[in-house]
Amino acid sequence: MSAPVFSVHNLWKVFGPKAKADRVPGSDAADLTADQLRKNTGCTVAVRDVSFDVLAGEVFVVMGLSGSGKSTLVRCLTRLIEPTAGEIAIDGEDVRSMDRARLRDLRRHRASMVFQHFGLLPHRTVLDNVAYGLEIQGAGKAQRRARAAEMVEKVGLAGLEGRRPGQLSGGQQQRVGLARALAVDPEVLLFDEPFSALDPLIRRDMQEEVVRLHHDEGRTMVFITHDLGEALRIGDRIALMRDGRIVQCGTPEEIVGSPADDYVRDFVRDVPREQVLTVRRAMRPADAGEADAGPALAPSTLVSDAIEAVARTGGPARVVDGGRCLGVVDHERLLAVVAGLPLTGAAA
Amino acid sequence: MASSATATDMAATATSPARNALWRALTGRRGLGKLLLLAMIAAVLVPFAASRWGSGAWPGALTVDLSGPLGQASNWIIDNRDTHPLFLYFFGWISEGVIVAVRAVYLLLLALGWTGVTAAASLLAWRVAGLRVALTALASFAVCGVLGMWVPTMQTLALMAAAVAASVVVGALLGLAAGLSERTYRALRPVLDTMQVLPAFAYLLPVVLIFGIGVPAAVLATVVYAAPPMARLTALGLRDADHGVLEAVTSLGATARQRLLTARLPLARRELLLGFNQTIMMALSMAVIASVIGAGGLGDRVYQALSTVDVGSALAAGIPIVLLAVVMDRTTAAAGTRIGEEPSGPRWSYGWQAWAGVAAVTAAAVAAGRAASSLTWPGSWMVTIAAPVNSAVGWMTSHLYSGVPVIGGTADWAGHFTTWILDPLRSGLTALPWWAVLLIVAALAWLIGTWRTALTAAVSMAVIGVLGVWSISMDTLSQVLAAVAVTLALGFAVAVAAARSRRVEALIRPVLDVLQTMPQFVYLIPVVALFGAGRAPAVAAAVAYALPAVIRITAQGLRQVDPAALEAARSLGASGAQQLRQVQLPLARPALLLAVNQGVVLVLAVVIIGGMVGGGALGYNVVYGLAQGDLATGLVAGAAIVCLGLMLDRVTQPSSDQAGKER
Ligand SMILES: Nc1ncnc2c1ncn2[C@@H]1O[C@H](COP(=O)(O)OP(=O)(O)OP(=O)(O)O)[C@@H](O)[C@H]1O
Ligand SMILES: [Mg+2]
Repeated sequence: MSAPVFSVHNLWKVFGPKAKADRVPGSDAADLTADQLRKNTGCTVAVRDVSFDVLAGEVFVVMGLSGSGKSTLVRCLTRLIEPTAGEIAIDGEDVRSMDRARLRDLRRHRASMVFQHFGLLPHRTVLDNVAYGLEIQGAGKAQRRARAAEMVEKVGLAGLEGRRPGQLSGGQQQRVGLARALAVDPEVLLFDEPFSALDPLIRRDMQEEVVRLHHDEGRTMVFITHDLGEALRIGDRIALMRDGRIVQCGTPEEIVGSPADDYVRDFVRDVPREQVLTVRRAMRPADAGEADAGPALAPSTLVSDAIEAVARTGGPARVVDGGRCLGVVDHERLLAVVAGLPLTGAAA
Repeated sequence: MASSATATDMAATATSPARNALWRALTGRRGLGKLLLLAMIAAVLVPFAASRWGSGAWPGALTVDLSGPLGQASNWIIDNRDTHPLFLYFFGWISEGVIVAVRAVYLLLLALGWTGVTAAASLLAWRVAGLRVALTALASFAVCGVLGMWVPTMQTLALMAAAVAASVVVGALLGLAAGLSERTYRALRPVLDTMQVLPAFAYLLPVVLIFGIGVPAAVLATVVYAAPPMARLTALGLRDADHGVLEAVTSLGATARQRLLTARLPLARRELLLGFNQTIMMALSMAVIASVIGAGGLGDRVYQALSTVDVGSALAAGIPIVLLAVVMDRTTAAAGTRIGEEPSGPRWSYGWQAWAGVAAVTAAAVAAGRAASSLTWPGSWMVTIAAPVNSAVGWMTSHLYSGVPVIGGTADWAGHFTTWILDPLRSGLTALPWWAVLLIVAALAWLIGTWRTALTAAVSMAVIGVLGVWSISMDTLSQVLAAVAVTLALGFAVAVAAARSRRVEALIRPVLDVLQTMPQFVYLIPVVALFGAGRAPAVAAAVAYALPAVIRITAQGLRQVDPAALEAARSLGASGAQQLRQVQLPLARPALLLAVNQGVVLVLAVVIIGGMVGGGALGYNVVYGLAQGDLATGLVAGAAIVCLGLMLDRVTQPSSDQAGKER
């Protein structure tokens, strides 16, 4: 795609007494188990030698179980938590060497965050909460109110401008949080488990809201979640964390289709694979004669859709990209996907 | 007053780790181990000490006579007050500033006239707290006028206004520092905690030493007494601000200043207002007590009247004090609970229009008062209650004091209480060998706290001995112990009743509300009417003052006992008494201990004040020192009061250490 917005290299965050924590990255101590490390040094490694790039315009999801270091990682990006070691760059500019004013500028204009527990100011109205980011930037009252009203409208809260956060439901509060982050028109939106405090149905609504926003505006997003379904639904790429390390980073299809290790495999076991994998991954090279007959499918067609096409015609379907046949999928291949069997001899 | 502070403390106490630790300390082997260790230390030291200094009251060889040096210091200050640069350029300025401020407020109040002040106060109460409180305010100021107390009321108000303003500024600044810096908080917290348990009387002498008797001393003593709650609650509010909100604010790029002004302070509004409320109540309480160092106003009227046992006049000045307290408490408390509520009602009743209306009506009232050239309350609208009250008291004295068939009279009760309880207790305490007292104090404090608590308590007690006021302090201590015993017996009984029956609770709640807002000093009036002067009335006043807090804390503790545990006990067929004894009381243990602690602290405060109505002992020494200009005696007594307060607090405060560790 395009140039990275965030570029993170060998990032470490070690909680604990600073003198000791600084010595952990790269040393032998880093290889101890969490318990032992805590006993020996009083330190906890939350983020461990993590590297990744967030590309412009993508939704980058960081996923992992509770305590795997996701929140810490995303807070390190704007130095809400000070990293212990490693490099972070935003648009090529080193974040760790920024002085206070630069850092404030980064937080004000370039990256806004949406929090799991909303973090709204209880004594302000919805409108004033949304306008808060502009207010601390010094925007005039009329200007920030107009902009805030626009954002409130955008997240579907029109009519509730005068309420206070305490008078809103959780979903509505999170919409306010979202509007507040959007109001400053940031380059990147950071989400820390924004929907895990919400009911499943509302959560679904909000996820769609985010997908829609991303579709409309193409804003870069870093999205933290512990919910695999959510990650697959909205992520362009997913990084899977375990004990502070990224164990695999790739598209949903790569994660589900070729798990890097048993941990990831276990993680994605219950995923309906036909709804994530595409025929590009399921196809095999076409045998003689097959390249001309049968229904044509685009490579990005989901396996679940291919099943329908194959079932209807009874024969294998072709995977066609720009008039060229890349391969075919038949009953056998499609069933193997659904059953989770390893796919051998995949086409290029 | 004290109750709101304790509510927050209670939350800390109620945490189960603290409870468990305490439980273990009291019952487990740790407690036994501590006692054994103490016994061993005692076995080595006591024979030595006893053989060297004897085993009676505190040995004379171990006392230091401070009256000489203290007298010299006080003389030096008096001689140099007008010449030394420290006084000329520092204390002098403070003193001038205070006088000017109080004077200015006083003149303003007089200029507003009774119409203006009453209108302003009622309308303010209406804006902040609603119609009911506004009507209360209106009625209260009217009563002040009717009782012929308008001018003293304005004097007290002026003094309070200056003192509260200073307390709020000082307290808020200290609280800000402590709320923003962990190190300041650690340094400040023990100081504030200790100040909170010291009786008001302990503050009087040091300020008098520097400023002499008069308004400046009264105001400064009030500030010192009233600023700690503001500081405490400001710090608490700032420290407890929701971290999620602060993080969100930071993530949007707020500067430290913006974070403080737009998030931290607004988030702490409730605590700030609670602090303001407590500061006002403490200031009123002290402004009245400070009449013994020249505060003037209502307190002075009460003080003068009580010293001649003129109950009628005391009551005439006491009623306005109570009314002021109620109005101020309700107004500021309502401001706190109304935070965040949406304004309602017609448009003119809130926002700037309402304030403009308040200003306009007040101005009209002032103009009306001036037009009728009636600035102080009109004399023809006054009712003198002193004479009828005094004749009623006279009737009581002749009919109820003694000789009532079967039940005896109030004076008889007081006499019996003195003969059968106070006297034996005092002679018992005095007869105890001094080292035994130290050992008992240390053992109690150690059982319930750490070795450090024990050391503080024992050293405080030893300091009392060294100061040479051992036997007087034992007198005070005997009154405190007797009053605490009565308070706890009554308090627990009422609390159990209140916790078990909603009806009883609904019945006593308003009574407790009023009792808890009344300044300490006022409690002396009815007991003098009932029992005359002496030690028993002092004890009675102390009981009356401490009882509401004890009842409230205990009842709350009992009611908060986990309903599931009660349910389980009931399902096992426990009777009501069994439930109480085996489930409620053990589970409410932290609340009970807190009640004991509060009871002791409050009782001490009033027992000391009781020195003004014949309670004698340390309180009397302070009053005597002030009245005779013998500051040395007063200062030594003041120091002893501080030590006694520290000791009593430490032997009854179980959780301070554990709670401190958890924070
Ligand atoms: N301020 C802190 N001090 C010490 N350790 C911390 C701190 N914050 C987090 N940790 C530790 O770092 C590790 C990672 O925490 P983090 O909050 O990043 O996890 P998470 O993946 O966001 O989990 P969750 O899904 O529960 O939010 C945990 O072991 C946690 O205990
Ligand atoms: Mg998290």
